[in-house]
Amino acid sequence: MALINVASREIHCKIVYYGTGFCGKTTNLQYIYSHAPQPARGDLLTIATESERTLFFDFLPLDLGLVHDFRVRFHLYTVPGQVLYERTRVAVLNGADGVVFVVDSTPEKLEENFQSLIELETNMRQLGKDLGAFPFVIQWNKRDVPNAIPVATLDRYLNRRRVQTYEASAVTGQGVFPTLRTVCKDVMERL
Amino acid sequence: MEQLTNLVVSEAELVHIARVLGRLTLETGASHVLLLDKSGQLIATQGEVGERDLLALGALLAGAFSSSRQVAQILGEKDFHSILQQGIYESIYTSLVGEQWLLVVVFEKQTHVGLVKVLARKAVEELDRILERVRAGGAQAKDQIVSVQFRNSAQNAIDQLFQE
Repeated sequence: MALINVASREIHCKIVYYGTGFCGKTTNLQYIYSHAPQPARGDLLTIATESERTLFFDFLPLDLGLVHDFRVRFHLYTVPGQVLYERTRVAVLNGADGVVFVVDSTPEKLEENFQSLIELETNMRQLGKDLGAFPFVIQWNKRDVPNAIPVATLDRYLNRRRVQTYEASAVTGQGVFPTLRTVCKDVMERL
Repeated sequence: MEQLTNLVVSEAELVHIARVLGRLTLETGASHVLLLDKSGQLIATQGEVGERDLLALGALLAGAFSSSRQVAQILGEKDFHSILQQGIYESIYTSLVGEQWLLVVVFEKQTHVGLVKVLARKAVEELDRILERVRAGGAQAKDQIVSVQFRNSAQNAIDQLFQE
């Protein structure tokens, strides 16, 4: 739910990065944090376990600056990817204005990606949202792994809605900002 | 099914909200009181917040509430509206306003928690009425702000800012 605060002249939008464990959601945020222009980015907040897995969520506020006298802010979140944290993912999805589904292109992860997408659709429905009519972008991440699943195969199994997709390698930054740009613009388009 | 829903808080309603939060701060002796959207965004605050990072605090408080709510569901609790986090120096009482906002009272150990609960409940009732008015005025108020030109300017700003 985008929040427009007329008195403080601020507009806040929430974007959630969703996907399986170790698919690169946190890496996306870390890359954005280290490469976004200084005045635009806030502090990156991470709640992780000792093994560097996200326990609750990561949070990165981005400040677009003044647009027609309103300060526009995007709040980026990641969800914990592990299967057992489903309830936590629902909690973080609450109030989202846009979703990025990060896909792990490693061959043995196809089934897991598929399950995660089904779960995302179910959770969104529970929150009263239809992914088909919602700012939603898919990122084919880890394109640099050996034997990465061909994009055509990923597209066939995971992109039935034919939404915008980006090939990415979040570790090197490839595809990270194009994904972010598209989801942010889509949110603005449908605000 | 409505997709991107927006909440537009007008200046007039923010004055009402500030009044409710200000009174609650005064009557409870709280360090500060926050009103958040359940997505974690800060709507208004009253009291001494000092150097605290309110953006991070808002995200974490909303996440904690939403997470506790999921716990309550698993336990079969049907009516879950508030949580209390007890600290050694400061405690936090969070209550839900109309399934949309969260009223957060941060108070020190000398304040009695019972007083906070009673006065917060009263404030929630008032905020409920404000929220109803905000919801009713949403679409029209939004259209005045988010014009075609606004969307274009925002999209240009996104292109410029989030380059490779």
